[in-house]
Amino acid sequence: MPNLGQLALAIALILALYSIAANIYGARRNATDVIVSARHAIWAMTAMVAIAAVSLWVGLLTSDFSLEYVASYSSTTLPTIYKITSLWGGQQGSLLLWTLLLSTFASIVAFQNRRRNPEIAPYALAVMAIVAVFFLGMLNFVTRPFDLMAVRPVEGSDLNPLLQNYWMAIHPPSLYTGYVSTTVPFAFAAAALITGKLDETWIRTTRRWAIFSWFFLTLGNMFGARWAYEVLGWGGYWAWDPVENAAFMPWLVMTAYLHSVMIQERKDMLKVWNLALIGLAFFLTLFGTFITRSGVISSVHSFTQSGLGPYFLTFLILIALVYTGALLYRVPDLRSPAEFESYLSREAAFLFNNLLLVGIAFAVFWGTIFPVLSEAVRGVKITVGPPFFNRVNGPLALGLVFLMGVGPLIAWRRMTVKNLASHFAAPAIIGITTGLILFGVEITQWYVLTAVSLVAFVAGTIAVEFGRGVTARRHMVHESTPRALVNLVSKNNRRYGGYIIHVGVIMAFVGIVGSSFFRVEVKKSVKPGESFAVGPYQLRFQSLNPLSTPHLESATAEVEVTRDGRPVASMFPAKLFYKKPQQPATHVAIRSTPLYDLYVVLAGIDDQSGMVTFQVFLTPLVFWLWAGGLMMVLGTVITMWPNVRERAAIAEAISRGKEQIAAEPAPGGE
Amino acid sequence: MRLAVGTRTFAACVALTLFIAAPAFAKATVDDVSQGLTCQCGCGLTVANCNHPECSFSVPLRGEISRMLDQGMDRAAIIAIYRAKFGEKILSAPTTEGFNLLAWVMPFFALVVGGGFIVMMLGRWRHETPSLPLGSEMGAERIPALDSRLREKLDAEVKRLL
Repeated sequence: MPNLGQLALAIALILALYSIAANIYGARRNATDVIVSARHAIWAMTAMVAIAAVSLWVGLLTSDFSLEYVASYSSTTLPTIYKITSLWGGQQGSLLLWTLLLSTFASIVAFQNRRRNPEIAPYALAVMAIVAVFFLGMLNFVTRPFDLMAVRPVEGSDLNPLLQNYWMAIHPPSLYTGYVSTTVPFAFAAAALITGKLDETWIRTTRRWAIFSWFFLTLGNMFGARWAYEVLGWGGYWAWDPVENAAFMPWLVMTAYLHSVMIQERKDMLKVWNLALIGLAFFLTLFGTFITRSGVISSVHSFTQSGLGPYFLTFLILIALVYTGALLYRVPDLRSPAEFESYLSREAAFLFNNLLLVGIAFAVFWGTIFPVLSEAVRGVKITVGPPFFNRVNGPLALGLVFLMGVGPLIAWRRMTVKNLASHFAAPAIIGITTGLILFGVEITQWYVLTAVSLVAFVAGTIAVEFGRGVTARRHMVHESTPRALVNLVSKNNRRYGGYIIHVGVIMAFVGIVGSSFFRVEVKKSVKPGESFAVGPYQLRFQSLNPLSTPHLESATAEVEVTRDGRPVASMFPAKLFYKKPQQPATHVAIRSTPLYDLYVVLAGIDDQSGMVTFQVFLTPLVFWLWAGGLMMVLGTVITMWPNVRERAAIAEAISRGKEQIAAEPAPGGE
Repeated sequence: MRLAVGTRTFAACVALTLFIAAPAFAKATVDDVSQGLTCQCGCGLTVANCNHPECSFSVPLRGEISRMLDQGMDRAAIIAIYRAKFGEKILSAPTTEGFNLLAWVMPFFALVVGGGFIVMMLGRWRHETPSLPLGSEMGAERIPALDSRLREKLDAEVKRLL
C-alpha cells in the first residue's frame, strides 16, 4: 500500500502538470479535444489523490507502523474513529486531505463547466491545477506521507490526546473545506483577469462556491471554538492564537466579499474591489496554512516544524505578485460608470461594512505578524495576545453590528431624512429602551450597554423587514401570516436567508459579550460528601471513580448539582492520562442552559488527603454563541437553496442542453 | 498640506489608541493582572487562562499576584515586576512605547485612511451621477407605457414569482 500511495501521488502530479498545459493550450487554440482531455486529466488526478488517501487510511486502520506517519500519529489501542481522523492529525496527512479536497473541487468545477463558460473555465481549471501542483509537489518531494521507518516499531506514538475528541474529527475537515473552496472563486477571478472577460460571468459562476466556502469557514471556526471550549479546560473558546486568527481572517474577507459583490451585481460597480477581495481571501487561506506549518509564528496548533516554510512563502509571494500584477494590468478595462447619489444609501452602508470587515482582518493580521516584525526590527520577542485583539477589535465590532442594522432598511440609491426616521424609529426605540433597562438593572460597563443596545436595534430592523414583507404578501396575495412568512423566505431566499444569518451573528455576539464580561470562576478543594456554591448552584462532590484501559487511565468525579435544594444534574468531570504519549488531559463536564453554562474541571487530585480540587466557571449566555452558529448554518442553507427563478432557469438550461445534444453529433471523447 | 493632514490623522490615531490600549480598573483583581501576563509553560494562553490545572508557571504566579494585591500593590506595579524578571515576552499585549506603539496605531490608522478613501471616492461618484427623482430608475421615463397585453403578461409573471 505505501508504494501504491506514493506512486498515485507521483501520477497525480504528472496529471496536474498535463492539465495546466492542456487547458491553456486548448483554450488558446480553441482545441475542444485538448480541453476535454485536460478535464479528464483533472478527474484522473482526483482518482489518484483519492487512492493515495485511501492507502494512508488503510495504513492507519491496519496499524502499519512501517509507515513513519502511522508510527507517529497512531497506535494499536487508538479508537478506530481517531485512526480515521489521524489522517489530518499530522503534517503530511493534513496536506494530503487538503489536496484531496482541492482535486475533488476541481473535478466538480470541470463537470459543472463541461458545457458552459468555454472562454474562462479552462483557465480557471488551469489555475486550480497550478495550486494542486504546488501541494502535490510538497507531498512528492518535501513532506512525504508514505516515507518508511528504518526499523518498524512494535507500537506507534499515538495521536496527541487533545486531538482525540469528536470535534477534532469534524473541525479540520470543515475548516479545510472552507479554505480550499476559496480556490474556486479565486481561480475564476484569475481566469477573468487572464482572458479579459471581466463581466459578471466569474461572479455568477462562483456565487454558490463563495457562499459554500463562507459556510464551511463559519463551521470550521465554530467547531474549532467548541473544541477549545470542551477540550482545553480553561472555560473559554477563543484565545486569539495565530492559527485561530488564520482561520478568522479569510472568514472576514469572504464576508466582505459576499456583501460587496451585491453592489456589483446590482450596480455594476466595485469590480476591482471584488477581484481584490477574492484574491485576498485566497491569499489568507494560504497564509494560514503557511503559519501553521512554517514555525515562523509560535502557536499551540502548530504542526511539527518541517522544511515547508520557504516553499510556502515563495508560493505565497508568487501568487500575490502575479495576481496583483494581473489586476493592475486590467484596471483600465474594469472601470465602469459609477452610480452613486447619497451617503445615506445601501451602497454607502455596504462600503463601510466592507471597510470594517477588512479593517478587522487587517488588525488581526497585524497583531499576528507583529511579534515577527518586533523581533526583526528590535531583536525583542514580544507576545500579542487577547488583550490587544479584544481592545482593538471590540470597538470595530460595535460599528459592524450597527451597520448590520442599517443595511437591511436603508434604500438603494438614496434615502430621505423623512424615510430614514420612519424606517428606523421603531428599531432605534427598541435599542435605546434595551440599553435603559440594562442600565436600570445596574449593568454599567459601556461596552456591554452599547453592544446589547445595538443587538436589540439590529433585531428590531430585521423584525421590521420581515414584518413589512409578510404584511405586503398578506395584502397582495391574501395569505395567512405563517404561509406569508414561509413564502416570503422561500421566494426571496437570498435576501431573507441573509437576514437569518444576521440573526445568527447577533445571537453569537450576545454570547461573546455575556461570556466575556460576566464569567465567574471558583476554585475549591473538597473531600467526598462536601459541597460548595457557585452562583445559584450548590455542587456536592460524591465520589472519585478510577478506570484503567490499555489506552488510558482516568479518574472521574461524580458531582451532584442542586439549585434551591432541588437536584439539577449529575456531572462527571475527569482527569485522563494517555499511556503511549504519556500525556495528561482533562475531560470537562458542561451543563448548558440559555442563561448559564456550568463548566466543571477536575483540576487536581491529592491521593494522600483524599481532597479533590475543582475549577468551576459559571459563564452567562455562552449558549447563544453556539445557537447563533446553528442559526447561521440555517440561514446559509436557505440562501443557497435554488429559488423559483433559479429552478426555472436550471430546468430551461437542461431542456436546452437536451435539445442541443439531440441536434448535434456527439463530440469526440465526451 | 497633504503631509500635514496625514500627520494630524496619525496623531489622532495615536491618541485614540492610547485611550483604547490603556486598561482601566477601579481595583485590580488576580484575573485582571494575570490577563496581562502570558503563561510561559507553552500553552500560548494568558496566566489567567492557562489550561494546565497544575501548571508550574501560572499556578504559583497567580498565588504571588494575589499576595501582592493583598499588600496593596496595583496592576501596573505587579506587571512591571514580572516584566523586569522575564522580559517583554511575558506581557500579553505590546506596550504603548516606541516601536510597539505601531502595533496599536496601525489598525486605526489604516481604518481612517481607508475610510477617507471611501468618502473621497463616494464624493467623486456622487458628483458624476445625475440625481433622479426617487421612484424612477435610470431612463425609466423613456420606456413607453405598457399596452394591456404586456400589462397582463407582467401581472401574471409577478403573480407567479410571488
